[in-house]
Amino acid sequence: MQNDLGGEPPRAERPEEPSRVDGSRRGALKVLVALGGAAYAGAIVVPAVTMLAPSSEGGAGAARWMRVCRLAELTEGEPRRVVVVGDERDAYTVTKDQLLGSIWVTKKGESVTALSAVCPHLGCSIDLNGDKKSFSCPCHTSKFSLAGAAEAGPSPRGMDPLVVRVVDGHVEVDFKLFRQGIAERKEVG
Amino acid sequence: MKLGDWLDERTGYRAISRKFVEATVPGGARFAYAWGAALGIVLLLEAVTGVLLMTVYSPSATTAWASVAYLQQKVPGGWIVRGLHQFGAQAAIVLAVIHVGYAIARGAYRKPRELTYWLSLAMVGLVVVTALTGNPLRWDQRGFWGLRVETGIIGTVPVVGGVLQQLLLGGGTPGHMTLSRLYTLHTVVLPFLLGAIAAKHLWLSRKHGPALATPADAVKSDRYFPTQAARDVIVAVAVLGVIGALTWMRHGAPLDAPADPTSDYPARPEWYFLALYEMRKPFPGKLELIATVVIPGLVAGYLVLLPLLDKKADRGVMKRLPLLAPVGLFGVAAGVLTFASMRTDAADAEFGKAVAKAEAQGTKALALAQEGVPPEGALAMLRNHPETRRVALFEQHCASCHRMGDLGPPKDKDTAPDLTGFGTKAWAKRVMEEPDHDAMFGKTAFKGEMPSMTKPPADPEAAKAFTAMAPADLDAIADFLAVQAQGKKGEGLPGEKLVSQRCTSCHRFDGKTDDEDSLAPELRGWASVPWILAQIDDPGSGATYPKGAMDPKLEGHMPAFKDKLSEKDRALLAKFVQEQAGK
Repeated sequence: MQNDLGGEPPRAERPEEPSRVDGSRRGALKVLVALGGAAYAGAIVVPAVTMLAPSSEGGAGAARWMRVCRLAELTEGEPRRVVVVGDERDAYTVTKDQLLGSIWVTKKGESVTALSAVCPHLGCSIDLNGDKKSFSCPCHTSKFSLAGAAEAGPSPRGMDPLVVRVVDGHVEVDFKLFRQGIAERKEVG
Repeated sequence: MKLGDWLDERTGYRAISRKFVEATVPGGARFAYAWGAALGIVLLLEAVTGVLLMTVYSPSATTAWASVAYLQQKVPGGWIVRGLHQFGAQAAIVLAVIHVGYAIARGAYRKPRELTYWLSLAMVGLVVVTALTGNPLRWDQRGFWGLRVETGIIGTVPVVGGVLQQLLLGGGTPGHMTLSRLYTLHTVVLPFLLGAIAAKHLWLSRKHGPALATPADAVKSDRYFPTQAARDVIVAVAVLGVIGALTWMRHGAPLDAPADPTSDYPARPEWYFLALYEMRKPFPGKLELIATVVIPGLVAGYLVLLPLLDKKADRGVMKRLPLLAPVGLFGVAAGVLTFASMRTDAADAEFGKAVAKAEAQGTKALALAQEGVPPEGALAMLRNHPETRRVALFEQHCASCHRMGDLGPPKDKDTAPDLTGFGTKAWAKRVMEEPDHDAMFGKTAFKGEMPSMTKPPADPEAAKAFTAMAPADLDAIADFLAVQAQGKKGEGLPGEKLVSQRCTSCHRFDGKTDDEDSLAPELRGWASVPWILAQIDDPGSGATYPKGAMDPKLEGHMPAFKDKLSEKDRALLAKFVQEQAGK
């Protein structure tokens, strides 16, 4: 290495055992490093957890009565698939008149019952069987009675019932989505 | 001073490249060692194509599908990059499994290579997880429903499942946040993890060298470059050939219709998960966790523990057979289950129909996207397009009573006239011949109101006085009505005179009728678009039927849609009914 033209000066030999710092000062510096490190870690981890933790904003508790069909359109005892149309809120956008989901409504005399068409197993879309005597899910062959009770297959619970009311000859439903794959019926936003 | 010297003084690159060139392969170069290298090269391909995709892709529920369709259709070479990326990902899974499988067969997991082996297992897992987070990004039906099911399975895992599922989805249901999170995982978190593990794995495998097949191999040795490097490149290029061929054949990668949470889609996992999919079938209800968590956990656990179980001095395959047998069994079982799953679906006609429907929807969506996707997103584009929307409108508002072609209630469940061919000569003729047929007015309140022109009435007294209409006259009237339905006046046609002579005793014609109390509809402009529209708007308005005949308040009559549907939707329906008649 030629250093005579203003190159790098030779470096000091690597010191032996570091001895510039005595015991107590060494301990204090260790604490300092740990505290500084913790400050940084905390400054990142705390907001990160806060930010990433799922929120249920706009979810549970909100009234979501939706008009889905006319009572007169229903055939006695025969489930009919109707779509639920409403404003869809997804994080930062709201879209008017979106298809929010589909449900099965059945008229029994004067009363109407509604079942979510979302399979409680893993969320596929439940179909009415050809003989109109039961429901089934095409994905994992869960079978349900017309009343929505789980009869066969992997579904951990029956179809999710929705609250219905009839207003001026129109069927209205309190539209909700539920968590899938668990025996409990838990609403999601 | 030369540039090379200048650079070497500052970086020491010559020593590094010499180390690479002069590296040796103890035991000699082999094609069998090339799988790992080919995997490394494919992962590089994934990184490069991935960065290119990032320049076009836009992760939100309204833009994701549209940006991928744009990439596929409009961006020059976009489909090639996308195809290489998608099929490269599948190739990476195959290569990772071959690489680890070979290591297990050779006993390359034994001391001192346990860590090298464990890192390779972690890489297989990460490669699969990266593929899984990549699939839903295109936000098409397949990706979306796959995600729903996968996160659903995650949600069933005891204790952590629920939180993990919500973390992945970024809330309760899949949407914008889901895409942002999957995108972050797929493009930043997982690639960095994978890269770091791959680097450590490579470093360790260099340190220990290949596990020699026989003691005799110890005397052999090759230079890595070019002896082994050539083998690596040959395998890697062959793999690239397969990836390229698949890309060419599929014109990029498949893209279904935009994700639609309200649709019924025949959801199936990607081929590399079919075995797991098939496996859960015999485990109903609560037992499903056995298939989704317990068995995969046990298999993974066995593979992880393998180096600790295998302590014999001999590394020969025969000597390790009892330990290797379960691994072979996993492989065979995976193959059999995958095959069984494919065969079940291939034999299922219903499933085939659903797949064909989904494919048709995808083709239509891509055709629409050619004209650009509105800011509301691809799903809104598909739903609001007249072609799709009018079918949906008919299904939603008309099909509970009327049948029309494939649409409508099953036979015998319809309560209103069959609109198939409504406005054609055949329809007009039929209603004159057998008005009380179930497909005509037989199931409506008008049953018995209109006499047949060709068949004598049931009442014997009236039958005596009955004379059937001459076939030529019947034809002329039907011809005239069919012309009306086309929206033409048809003035001067022989049928016009016949109608005014023979039909106006009950029917209105230009608003005039002999019997003001009759319930029969207006025949001028019958079944034309304005006539149908007036009927949809309000059957009780008097424009189509006399005011008292079709009051929507009357039991069993057609409702008025004026306040229920927008003007645009009503016009769409009227045109649809009229157009379908001509088919």
